Amino acid sequence: MLTERFLRNKRNVSLSLGERECLEAAISEVQTIEPRRVLVKAGDKLDHSTLLIDGIMSRHIDDHNGLRQLVAIHVPGDFVDLHAYPLKTLDHDVASMTTAVVGMVPHGKLDDIISERPQLGRKLWYATLLDAAIHRAWLFRLGRLAAVGRVAHFLCETNARLAAVGLSDGRQFPLALTQTNISEICGLTHVHVNRVMRQLREERLCIFRLSVVEILDPVGLAARGQFDPTYLYIDQ
Amino acid sequence: MTHLNNERRPETQPGVASAEDGLVILDGPDGVAVTMTAAAAAETGHNLVEAARAAQMQIGTTPGSDEN
Repeated sequence: MLTERFLRNKRNVSLSLGERECLEAAISEVQTIEPRRVLVKAGDKLDHSTLLIDGIMSRHIDDHNGLRQLVAIHVPGDFVDLHAYPLKTLDHDVASMTTAVVGMVPHGKLDDIISERPQLGRKLWYATLLDAAIHRAWLFRLGRLAAVGRVAHFLCETNARLAAVGLSDGRQFPLALTQTNISEICGLTHVHVNRVMRQLREERLCIFRLSVVEILDPVGLAARGQFDPTYLYIDQ
Repeated sequence: MTHLNNERRPETQPGVASAEDGLVILDGPDGVAVTMTAAAAAETGHNLVEAARAAQMQIGTTPGSDEN
């Protein structure tokens, strides 16, 4: 089922089979996107939203020198640009980081869901609030944490998000991102990220090698990143 | 009611600088995480020493002490 990971294992919210089928029926088209392709440009007029089925996608803003800051990443099950439903345009670009499979949901179908299934409509609202909670954590990460803490926090968060949708066993998960990607997420240079990764490895907290993250000491890594997963609203 | 005493205060701990792949990495304090070329790092270091000297004169302490 294409929608099986949407809001999976989230606190105080669960989708009935009927709701998942309704959402599934709203998908008008499934596309496979190559890595590093911009799917939505800031300012584009949008009439659909994108459910990420497989792969990793990002939201990013480039500065005047062309340097990129990733302001969000999305994992399978995320409704990447549900915000575009009420806003109709986005203030940032949306791109694939890996090969990604996405489901396109026309805004007209979302209109129908909201009018005919208000409980499912509230769950879509929940999804955008969850994105906002993650944005707050990203602000905290960049505003308060030093380099090693930023990377540790990001890896803990990604592990928790992927575990919630069944893509991490809690200690190890595939992560097809480069150190440059992580530098764009954490506001560091790739040299700095390289040094931090070595530090995390030498402290026996975490190893990131060949697109796989292995967390050796989950408690220690969380402490290093001041990571508290409460904001992810994951059902324990 | 929780009383918030969250005024940001000047850092009293120094940042840690290290060399990596021919570049200088500055970690901390207070979330600072910067990579600079060696020339930029040397100039930044010079600027910091000069500013520290001026700040010490403003409060009447000697360079190297942190008595404020």
